This record gives sequence, C-alpha cells and structure tokens, in this order.
Amino acid sequence: MNSIANRLACAGSERAAIHDQSFFSNFSTNNLAASLSPSIALPPISQPTKFLRANTDDSVNPDVKIKIAHGTTTLAFRFQGGIVVAVDSRATAGSWIASQTVKKVIEINPFLLGTMAGGAADCQFWETWLGTQCRLHELRNKERISVAAASKILSNLVYNYKGMGLSMGTMICGYTKKEGPTIYYVDSDGTRLNGDLFCVGSGQTFAYGVLDSNYKWELSVDEALQLGKRSILAATHRDAYSGGSINLYHVTEKGWKYYGNHDVGPLFWETKQAEGSFNNVVT
Amino acid sequence: MSSDYSNIKDSAPIEHRFNPYSDNGGTILGIAGEDFAVLAGDTRHTTGYSINSRYEPKVFDVGDNIIMSANGFSADGNSLITNFKTNLQWYHFNNNEEKLKISSAARLIQHLLYGKRFFPYYVHTIIAGLDENGKGAVYSFDPVGSYEREQCRAGGAAASLIMPFLDNQVNFKNQANQPLRYLSLNEVLSLVKDAFSSATERHIHVGDYLEILIVTKEGVRTELYPLKRD
Amino acid sequence: MAGLSFENYQRNQFLSSKGYAVPKATSTGTTIVGCKFNGGVVIAADTRATAGPIVADKNCEKLHRIAPHIWCAGAGTAADTEMVTQLISSNIELHSLYTNREPRVCTALTLLKQHLFKYSGHIGAYLIVAGTDPTGSHLFSIHAHGSTDIGYYQTLGSGSLAAMSVFESRWKLDLTKEEAMKLCSDAIQAGIWNDLGSGSNVDLCVMEAGKDAVLHRNYLTPNVRSQKANNYIFNRGATVVLKEKTIYSKLELVSEEVIISTPEERPEAMEVDA
Repeated sequence: MNSIANRLACAGSERAAIHDQSFFSNFSTNNLAASLSPSIALPPISQPTKFLRANTDDSVNPDVKIKIAHGTTTLAFRFQGGIVVAVDSRATAGSWIASQTVKKVIEINPFLLGTMAGGAADCQFWETWLGTQCRLHELRNKERISVAAASKILSNLVYNYKGMGLSMGTMICGYTKKEGPTIYYVDSDGTRLNGDLFCVGSGQTFAYGVLDSNYKWELSVDEALQLGKRSILAATHRDAYSGGSINLYHVTEKGWKYYGNHDVGPLFWETKQAEGSFNNVVT
Repeated sequence: MSSDYSNIKDSAPIEHRFNPYSDNGGTILGIAGEDFAVLAGDTRHTTGYSINSRYEPKVFDVGDNIIMSANGFSADGNSLITNFKTNLQWYHFNNNEEKLKISSAARLIQHLLYGKRFFPYYVHTIIAGLDENGKGAVYSFDPVGSYEREQCRAGGAAASLIMPFLDNQVNFKNQANQPLRYLSLNEVLSLVKDAFSSATERHIHVGDYLEILIVTKEGVRTELYPLKRD
Repeated sequence: MAGLSFENYQRNQFLSSKGYAVPKATSTGTTIVGCKFNGGVVIAADTRATAGPIVADKNCEKLHRIAPHIWCAGAGTAADTEMVTQLISSNIELHSLYTNREPRVCTALTLLKQHLFKYSGHIGAYLIVAGTDPTGSHLFSIHAHGSTDIGYYQTLGSGSLAAMSVFESRWKLDLTKEEAMKLCSDAIQAGIWNDLGSGSNVDLCVMEAGKDAVLHRNYLTPNVRSQKANNYIFNRGATVVLKEKTIYSKLELVSEEVIISTPEERPEAMEVDA
C-alpha cells in the first residue's frame, strides 16, 4: 500500500504514506519487498509473465517489439588492499549497440557499490532503491548497514519477483568495520553468494581467464587496479556484447574511490604495445 | 449431446493473444549544447504502409524549461507525457511552485516507466533542457526506465541510421586529431536538418515535417521545416 | 541445369527452424498501373524499392520489356518480377521467330500465368502486362498464383488502392493518349504520396498501335533531394595510421634503347627565328 520509491516519484497521491504508522515497522515484517517496493502495473491477462516474455525476451524471439538492454562484463575481487571493481560500459539491445557510455557501477552510498549486468533498468532501479533502504537503515539504527544485510534486502526483493522476468546479475561491494571488505553476488534467480572474486555477464569467462591466472591476495593496490582493468579489456576484446570504456573503483575502509574512465579503443593499443600482448592482432 | 456447432468449436483451436502494441514510426533526436539543448522529431504518424497524419507533433514543451518526447507506440507515448505533466503539476502544488530540475524530471520518468516494468510502455523517451549550471542536458530512457545523461541521442524508427552519424559529427568518433568541443546552436541545427532529411531519404516511416524545439535560458522556441512527403 | 534449383531448400528450412532468419528479398512494395486509351495503352510505375522499412533503391526500374511492343510493370519480389519477365521475354521471342509472326500480348499472358501457376505463388511476381499486337491493344494483370484480369485500367502493389481511387473517380471511355498519360502518372503519384511502400519518381511507357513503344524513364521527378546544410569533408589526418610501411620496388632492366637527340630535332624546341 505505501512505498518509498513511489513516494519519491509522485509526491501528490502518496503523501499520506509519510504519516502511515506502519511505515516504520514495515522493515521487520515478512512481506518486506511487497510493502516497500513501488506498485508495478500488470497487463490485464491471465499469464502476465508469458506476455512479458513474448514481448521482451529477444533470446526467444529476435523480432520482439521491446528490446531490453543486455550484455556486459563486470568484475569485483577482494585482495589485501580492499576491493577492486571494474566494469565495461556497453549496452546492447539485440545486435544494436544502444550505448557505449553506460555507468554500470551504481554508487549506492559512499561505502557501497553495486554492479550492473542483465537488464539495465532492473539493476539501475532496484540498486538505487537499495540505496534508500540502506539510508533508512542508518536513520533507524544509527549505524551503517552491513554488506550482508544490504545484499540480502536486494536478494529478498528479487526473490519476491522470481519468475516474473527480472534479469539482474549484480555484485554488492562494500566495507564495514565488522565485515571488512566484502563482496556479495546477487542475481535475479535469488542466488546470494559471499566470495572473494566474481566476474558477471556475457564476457565473464574472458575476464575470469585473465583474472584467475594473475590474481593473488598480496597484490598491491596499483597492481590490483591494473589487473581489474586488464581483465575487462580482455573481455571487451573477445565478447561482442562488451566494450566502450572501463570504469574502475577501489573500495577501502574509507569508502570507495573512483579510478577513472578508460576508453578501450586507445587502451587496447597502449596495452598491446606496453605488454607485447594481443599478438593475435597484427597490423 | 454435442451439436455440429460445438464440434467445430472443440476441434478448431482459437488463438487468444493479447496484442496491445503497435508501432507508429517516426524518429526523434536530442542534442545538448553548452548553453542550450534541442529535441527534434518528424511529425509523420504511421501504421504499416499508411500515413495516419502528416502533422502529429510528438515533441512537447512540458513546462519548467523541459522538452520531452516518447517515440514508438504513440498511445503509450502520449500517456507517459500526460502522466509526467500531471506529476509535475502535483510537484508544483506541493512545493510552492518550485521549478523541477531536469535531473529530478529524469528520475521521475524512470519511476513512471519502471512502474510498468511488467507491462511496458512501448516507447523510447528523450528529454532535453538545462541543468542546474545552465549547461545543456539530454537524458534518454529505454522502455522500462534505464536512463543516462548524454550529449546526443537519436530514438525511434531511424535511430540506427542517425546515431552513427551523430557519434561521428557530435562526439567526433572515428575522427583522429579532432578535439572535443561544444557545437554552436547553428551547427547543431544544421546537423539536425541533415540527419532528418537523410533519414527521410532512406526510411519510409520518416518524413513530412521536422519540428525542432530549442531550450535556452530564455525559454522554449519551436521551428518547423518541411521534409519530403513520399 | 535450367530452371530453379531447390538444392538448398531443406537446409534453409532447417536453418529457419533453428532461428536463423531467412534473408529478406528486396520487395518492390509498389504502385503500378495501366490504362487503355483510344489507339493504345499506357503503363506506369513508381521507382522505390524497399527492404522492410528501409528504402533499398530510390530509382529502380519496374517497367520491363517483354517484346518491343509488349511491356510489363512488376510488383512483389523484385528478383522474381525481373527473372520471370526475362524468361517469358525469351520464350516470346523464340515463339515469334518460330511462327514468323508478331508476338501477341495474350501469348505473353498465357506463358506468364502458366509459369506462375506451376510454382503456386512461390514466385512472388504481380504483373501488369500491356502492349499492342496485330489484334489491337491490350491490358492485363496477373497475380503470383496465376490468376489474371482484364480491364480498361489496372492497379497493383501496396499503392494499388491509392492509385485505383484516381481511376475510379476520373477514368472515362475514349481517353486520348495525353489524358491517359496524365491519369496514369496521377495514379502513380497517389501511391507515391500516400503509400509508404511507394515513392520517388514516375516511370511511364506508352504503347500505341502501329508505333514503337515509348519508354519515359523518370517521366516525373517530384522527389529531388534538397541541398544538405553542411558538407562533410573530413580534415586531413582524420584517419588513424596504425602502421606505415614503404615498399621500394626494384626495377628490372628489360631492354635498352639510346636516342641521340640534337637540338634541331627536338620537336618542342622553340623556334627563335621564324
């Protein structure tokens, strides 16, 4: 009945929600997602999911009317100096490159990052929504939310929508005093995994190839950033659905820090020259 | 028991499919300049091989120095814009007529679109205006609300024809030794005209008129140019 | 072997069942018309060829010659209209040589309809056949499945309704040649402006009894592209150079000839004291 996101969206009709007593107690109820998420319209038919799939799933039917942006390479890994997060920036809709400048790292708050793979809108929407949930947690409990709790809010939410067509593969990366640097992988199937190293998206295998063979816990910060960047570069080189530029982040006890946007066009030639790698490419 | 009629009814499967979408063609294009932004669209409204109207505007001044267009299925587009305007009016009532920032307008549109995540608006939405620093801003949205601020964006039927041209001429992609710079309003307008006259040449759902809305700090201005009608 | 090859049919069926889309044939989503007048017949066509919503050719030719006095306008699959017309054209020529007579329009009609019927619509040719022969002037239309029509005026293609509206409102018996030409070009224009599958120019062919057929290629050009606002010449150096390599070609001496020239013999030498 009441919803935070909706309240932010349409100030008019939802104003009453602020005075709703149950608003603050919602968080502890079982029906968390349903009560906190905005209401989403369904088509007036018996099987809404079937309808959605027929109209939006381009793997089933390449000529669908509504094409939802897909295709990505994202990675995050823990190491001695914190967490490195690296992502590409390409959005595709079928074979069409919809954008080369997508922000696939969502800055949930100064200590939490979320990555975007799968449906761009699903990730963007629910991870910003997660940001509001984390802020409410801070206001209620006078302390920052743990990465475990934050990722669980998201995984519970998507589990409530299971089978309805949400498409997300995300890593919630953050730092808290009690947890240290922490990564949770959350996807739209409801999977939630804690781990040291993840690559997600259509280019994940290519990124894993580089990352696994060069990763060690003792990596320096500079080495780790370089490795994250290099792994995404490898993925953009071999995966047609990944490309554009690389966004780099480093997460420490002081929160996350942005390490710039790197166009893979010039970066490829610089890397090839500097490393003597990519010898399959001959000019 | 079964009559001839009921026999037929049982044997012949009847397909029931919910098909609420159609495509009304047309193309839109937004470019941000240093202190201005433009949003242009052709005015042809089609279904299949038929022209429903040669002048059906789809780029609108929605208030607060924001221009908006939702291209694709026009019924969904009109509904989205109406909903946006309604929300904007409520915002003014509740906030002492405060002007809505374009970044906030973009977030509102994300919520309107995502609110129909499981029954999407069949539209590609673009808005244009000026940001808090007076710089030109263009925001573009996918059908379910993923959005991004960009320098330029083409949407609709001929997006795949116009977008590569824009990448090359606005962001100077694939042009070496060509430093990035802001284009002047006149440069942008001539690019927009050429983009649309070229799209009209090669796409059957584009044509008739080109309507360009221009936002500056002085307000919104409209220009109308003829396109080919064949 | 002559005729159509079906060797890839099964493979293509398999491929399309696996989700590999069959490549789209260029279809002339078209307006074509024909109209009889006193002493002859006119046919006309637009010049737009489309592939889905994209204009594939802005000035294609949809008027085909079957015999010097028999012409045909084609709608449907571009390749089919072209090939079926050429095939029947050859057969008409052979038949005319064999019988030592002028080819007749009804012969072309029969040949076409029998060929198309045999392929039960898989050859996507929709044609308006017209011409003059010793029996007079004739106008027919043929559909891809092999059915044919006769009439004083015919329209076919995606713009046929727009074109037909012109004929239904303005056609009369005993038109002059000029009236028929105007009516046909107006009908094509109705398609050009109102049907998205048709566009660009009007082609027109007049076949008058006892005269050579006259093809008016681009009879009307009402859709000339306007001047672009910018020119798009790239600056020098706009293309990235990844690698440079200079190849010095070694010249091999093949033959030697010595010409001793004296100043008097130099033809280009200027005459000082003329």
